[in-house]
Amino acid sequence: MTKPIALAIKWVLIVATLAGILWIATKLAQAGNTTAVVIAGLVGMGILVVYATRRSVPLKYLVPGLIFMTLFQLWPVIYTASLSTTNYGDGHLYSKQESVTDIIAQSVREVPDTPRYKMSVATAEGGDPTTADLVLLLTKPDGSTYVGDKTGLKPLPATGVEKTPIGKITKAPGYTVLTAKQANARSKDLSAIAVPTSDGGGIKPVGLSEAFEGKATVTYDPAADKLTDTSTTPATVYEPKDARWVNVADPSQSFPQGWKEGVGLANYSRIFTDSTIRSGFLGIFIWNIAFAVLSVLTTFLLGMLIALLFNDPRLRGKSIYRSLLILPYALPFFVTALVWKGMFNQDYGIINQTLGLDVDWLGTTGGARAAILITNLWLGFPYMFIVCTGALQSIPQDVREAATIDGANAFRTLRSIIMPLLLVAVGPLLLASFAFNFNNFGLIYLLTKGGPFNGADTSIGSSDLLITYAYRLAFSGSAPNYGFAAAVSVIIFLLVALMSIPGFRRTKALEEVN
Amino acid sequence: MHKRALGAAAVTGVAALALSACGGSSPTTPSDTGAAGSSKAATTTGVPETPSGTAAPVRDANVDLVIWTDADRSKAVQKYADQFAAENGVTVKVQISTDTRAQFKDATKVGKGPDVIVGAHDWLGELVQNSTVAPVNLSSDVAAKFLPKAIEATKFNGQSYGVPYAVENIGLMYNKDLVPNPPKTMDELVATGEKLVKEGKAKQVLSQFVSKVGNAYFAYPYLSAFPEGGIFAIKPNGDYDPNKVIVNTPDSIKGGDALAALGKKKVLSTNVDDTNQDALFDTKAAPFMISGPWSVAKAKEAGINYGIAPLPSLTGGGAMRPFLGVQMFYVSSKAKNAALAQEFVTNYIPRKDVQLALFEVGKRPPALKEAYAEVAASDPDVKAWYEAGIDGSPMPNIPAMNSVWGPFGQATADIIAGKAGAKERLDAAAKEITANIAKG
Repeated sequence: MTKPIALAIKWVLIVATLAGILWIATKLAQAGNTTAVVIAGLVGMGILVVYATRRSVPLKYLVPGLIFMTLFQLWPVIYTASLSTTNYGDGHLYSKQESVTDIIAQSVREVPDTPRYKMSVATAEGGDPTTADLVLLLTKPDGSTYVGDKTGLKPLPATGVEKTPIGKITKAPGYTVLTAKQANARSKDLSAIAVPTSDGGGIKPVGLSEAFEGKATVTYDPAADKLTDTSTTPATVYEPKDARWVNVADPSQSFPQGWKEGVGLANYSRIFTDSTIRSGFLGIFIWNIAFAVLSVLTTFLLGMLIALLFNDPRLRGKSIYRSLLILPYALPFFVTALVWKGMFNQDYGIINQTLGLDVDWLGTTGGARAAILITNLWLGFPYMFIVCTGALQSIPQDVREAATIDGANAFRTLRSIIMPLLLVAVGPLLLASFAFNFNNFGLIYLLTKGGPFNGADTSIGSSDLLITYAYRLAFSGSAPNYGFAAAVSVIIFLLVALMSIPGFRRTKALEEVN
Repeated sequence: MHKRALGAAAVTGVAALALSACGGSSPTTPSDTGAAGSSKAATTTGVPETPSGTAAPVRDANVDLVIWTDADRSKAVQKYADQFAAENGVTVKVQISTDTRAQFKDATKVGKGPDVIVGAHDWLGELVQNSTVAPVNLSSDVAAKFLPKAIEATKFNGQSYGVPYAVENIGLMYNKDLVPNPPKTMDELVATGEKLVKEGKAKQVLSQFVSKVGNAYFAYPYLSAFPEGGIFAIKPNGDYDPNKVIVNTPDSIKGGDALAALGKKKVLSTNVDDTNQDALFDTKAAPFMISGPWSVAKAKEAGINYGIAPLPSLTGGGAMRPFLGVQMFYVSSKAKNAALAQEFVTNYIPRKDVQLALFEVGKRPPALKEAYAEVAASDPDVKAWYEAGIDGSPMPNIPAMNSVWGPFGQATADIIAGKAGAKERLDAAAKEITANIAKG
């Protein structure tokens, strides 16, 4: 009896999934991303094949995981790696052609001593407001009226022309004045309009009721691939160099708008050749490992001890204690971190005040590192407490009784019986915790921003992790450089992966205890 | 277990409903055929759209003009956006953005940005560099109605990129109950403060945001008190010159020496930062605080009888000159409704009533001379802030300023903490800033 229902549910789910994929695909198609549409189609067909047929039972279980792993794990890694071979970053977001267009558009200056016109946007009478050629109906400050189009400026006879008090034309024989909404719909055409004038400039609209005579001071010569800025005397020539337009006469000057291009492995070679990176790297790397290991050890030990304590059947009111202990974990982490920052303040912090100390916690290397570990212990032990409690409850009571009967004391039981069984369960979690803490950007950033900075160099902080260090490296230049940041991320990813391999080997060994 | 599953289903259901409610609200206006600006089309929501969480607002494709602003200003902007909508027969939507600078840049990159944003002038270099803002060509007679320094701040490479509406700067706040008249010089300030500490009426002389990593914005006035002191030299066209870092000129070093002396006397301390700066002044622990208009509301709430005065002058130099920050309206270079956006920004923002409405929500001196004059006549605080900034110069809006905040801030913190001498530390900072700028 249940079979038809199960079948129906199965098909409803399949259709729903396919509909979801179709919806994503249409969105992707709208964005013009053909490759992604094809991939979405293939995924959809794959799902249909796997779930609609009776074959490939293992795949039925694996497919969702595979899809999500590709989306959320593999794709970011691939994307980061591909980004790391470009110069993508502030000032290098668009193509070279776009940089030229933008530089020329931004170089339009008002021609000195020219009048400001009051302006209305119109078409020839009877023209379709959405497609007909646009003309500008212009009023000079002296009240004389003109019509401007792409051929030039012509006087507009005053008969039949109606104007607002400020001089904007609302009606002119032979023309249809567009409403604000209609004119706005033609924004693209409007920004392209420049009514040519005798001195080489063009009358261009500002919004919908004013026009000015402007002139682009920069010109582009596609044959020579050079930009010339005529606003200076003599004119300044710019040539492409390192994805920017650089002044030929004075290479320290360039236009701020550059373009995106591939740079091969240049970002990687910069990591390995930059002198500040080389000098700072080792120290930071060692502290980074020490921080991650100590964080995991301290939080685990404290969490486990409390869990062991609360696992004792003689203790009363456990649920209250347990809820209280989970509180630090339940509070938003950034609030907790900022509160701790305040408590560590040398002059006003509660820690120095109640303990009668004068420790400059956040201003000295040792102090800052200790402060970070203490805060992380507070933040991290409830998690370890939760997982240890869970794992301890799953250790059968008879194993412990057997140990007691064999004459093992409490410590011996803990060391030889409980710990190995506990580690089987929490071992992988400890590894995950290590990887998380290895890149614990938020904590460092909120507490010390990587500081204190000893010596006269703010690129290497004494409590920096590789990740905060990479962040500063990539974003401390005049412009955030995502390409470089991606390269550093790839290196960190490789480091964490290499360090995790022995860890996973070890957890495999633990599993053989069972 | 069964109960829990039901609960989960209920939660998911509610979430799905909430989501569909968000997604389904897009065509709030009839997709009007454009029939000559009918009054029907002029229906705006009337309430600024608040985002869920910190995500960027989602642009509504059916609206004729989209404006992004922060929550504080949204109501004032909304009022005049509605007026503009009615006047022109179009629809305007004001959306609240929690981080306008970054969200605008990212959304514009993928073609989903707004037409107009409200923001600070020092974003300009970065926005131009990324081709995200369009020139806004104010006529010279309208530009002349603004404070010249505010107009100067909206320019980059000689081109003007927006319309300013407010100017803000730091000044000296003092507790009138403890100090009847504000000190004119730093020496006087220190003497007064130390006397109060000795008498037990205060715990420390001054509250100023320094922090362990330093704060370049608050440290800059100590350098600018000396004629050749500062961060960047000025180019002939009025822009800051990223190739001329002047944090270690002899005059800048005099400013550094002043920081060192004040650090030694514990007038400045790296233990004062954003978390406790206001609290120190508001609990009367410090009779003086160097801060900006944003600190006034808290001081009022704490019942402090505060006064606002220009920053004091330093011995051997002149008055400390703060950075000016200018708030302005930008037009996106990728605006879908460029014509209306330009129209709104060039015709509405220079109006006195708009500037006054925006003053009410931020209490910063208006950038329009006429509006400032009216406000200053009735509000002594605004007049005081304005006068505290009268000699200031706009904060650099060139992208190279990004390379300055860290190294220069840290250098001043180290000098205040006595970790290094002013000259050697500022020399090192100059070297580091130059190297960072060269990295591009």
